Amino acid sequence: MATNPTEVPGYGCTIDELMVVTMSRMMGDDTRAFNGAVSFIPVCAYLLARRTHAPELVWAASSIAIDADPKRIPESTLSDALWDGASMLSNSPFDFWAMAQGARYNTFAFRGAQMDRYGNVNNTVIGPYDKPKVRLPGGGGMADLSCMIPRIYLWSTTHDPRTFVERLDFRSGIGWGDGGDHRERLGLPGGPQACVTNMCVFDFEPESKAMRLASLHPGVTVDDVRGATGFDVLVPGGEIPVTAQPDEEEIRLLREEVDPTGARRREFS
Amino acid sequence: MIQDKRASLAEAASLVQDGDVVALQNMATQLAPMAVVRELIRQGRLNLGIVGLLAGIPVDWMAAAGVMDRFIGGAVTMEQFGLCNRYRKGVEAGAIRVEELSETAVNARLGAGARNLPFLPTRGLIGTELIGMDPDNLRLIEDPFGGRPVVACRALVPDVAIVHAHRADRAGNVQLEPTAEWPDLGIMPKAANRVIVTVEEIVETEVLRRRPDRTVLPGFVVDAVVEVPFGAHPTSCFPFYGYDSAMHLAWVAAARDDVTTEQFLDRYIREPADQAEYLRAVGGATTMLALERMEHA
Repeated sequence: MATNPTEVPGYGCTIDELMVVTMSRMMGDDTRAFNGAVSFIPVCAYLLARRTHAPELVWAASSIAIDADPKRIPESTLSDALWDGASMLSNSPFDFWAMAQGARYNTFAFRGAQMDRYGNVNNTVIGPYDKPKVRLPGGGGMADLSCMIPRIYLWSTTHDPRTFVERLDFRSGIGWGDGGDHRERLGLPGGPQACVTNMCVFDFEPESKAMRLASLHPGVTVDDVRGATGFDVLVPGGEIPVTAQPDEEEIRLLREEVDPTGARRREFS
Repeated sequence: MIQDKRASLAEAASLVQDGDVVALQNMATQLAPMAVVRELIRQGRLNLGIVGLLAGIPVDWMAAAGVMDRFIGGAVTMEQFGLCNRYRKGVEAGAIRVEELSETAVNARLGAGARNLPFLPTRGLIGTELIGMDPDNLRLIEDPFGGRPVVACRALVPDVAIVHAHRADRAGNVQLEPTAEWPDLGIMPKAANRVIVTVEEIVETEVLRRRPDRTVLPGFVVDAVVEVPFGAHPTSCFPFYGYDSAMHLAWVAAARDDVTTEQFLDRYIREPADQAEYLRAVGGATTMLALERMEHA
């Protein structure tokens, strides 16, 4: 399933590791996160942050197993093998959804088969809803969590024009909506903070709430990102920074303690 | 004198009629009442509407066998094993209609059904297109107390709920080992008109009485209870056994092609006469031991 990871030129690590470390550094001691299906990059990021700069970070494995500390990341991020060492196996409707809807959890990372410039996502259909060309799995919990959780992080291991589209075929999860103050007008808290891809990091321009190039991974150019993105990428003036290099200790912890079997590479098949 | 709810799989499955709305316990690769699912396929049930939170292989098998024509729920996926391609083909061909709900909308609709309320609200779904696709069941409404709008989710009362658990007694009192509780057992059987439960073992009531805190469903709401060891296979029944990766992969491979799909359904679903034969077909004791050791991960 996993393919050989791409080396990041000059960084002594691979692209999956750079993505994990980049996302990890976005988390803090006040992060209270959980995760859904096939979420290896964020799961590794939470566990790494907890071992480095954010020891107080709370993470509920599979949205269920609070403070789990698995010896390795299994092939699924939704099922029991991720729950080892938990202090609580919470019950989904009454524990998890209460704490999510009440924003006691404050951080969620998700992605879609399609994502647009405002961080809205589609996991429902390609083509019309009633007669789809492709029926996708469905939004599941994302359709709820996208409008409940204040700090949303997006990621993609397939930065290409099929994923980052001008227009979603269907909006099954909301980011910044139509941009500007749309999310706020809907009464929804916070919104997407960043999108970490295999090419770059986007943040969101504060006024328009459109994705803006924040940093480029080593070896990637602005034109590469433009060519791989289906919408017009906001590019700020001046030199675009290179995504910061992971520390040796971060890479060691990720490789030896957080994810010794390299489960994170499953997202790069 | 307690009523004896014990039944065979065939008797239990006969509680499901063609066209019924059937709430099915499942969370991707976890805990689905697979023995009943196979029995429904064997009996050739038609036009079922399947309600699920995050449904996986049972829905793909039912789609492949042509027993379902609606899905009402959050998502259909086998997680790391990929999309449910037979379900997907069914939807794309127009044979299966989807009423996609978010997870809180599934909980709210079934929760309202369970509590005999017209609807329950959620703060999910807001800003998505899902509300507009299902105006019969989802409405954005004002908070009568002056707060932010909420989405009213209309009560859903399934004809039948089918769930799998660790143990029960002959009266149908159902117990769960301490485990992650997805909404299914807590909500589905309370919302449905008829309830089918399969369990790993049927024990004396005295055994349940030692730990009444672990009983999650009283017998008086259960219509049929069936003892089916490994009844969730190839999905998991934590903490007793894990999901069967090899079986999921075999299905994914077979489902690519119509002929191999039919061969798979014949070999594993239509031909084994009972659970014992099914377990032999999927690898017998060696496989079951490996699953008990959770070697899937």
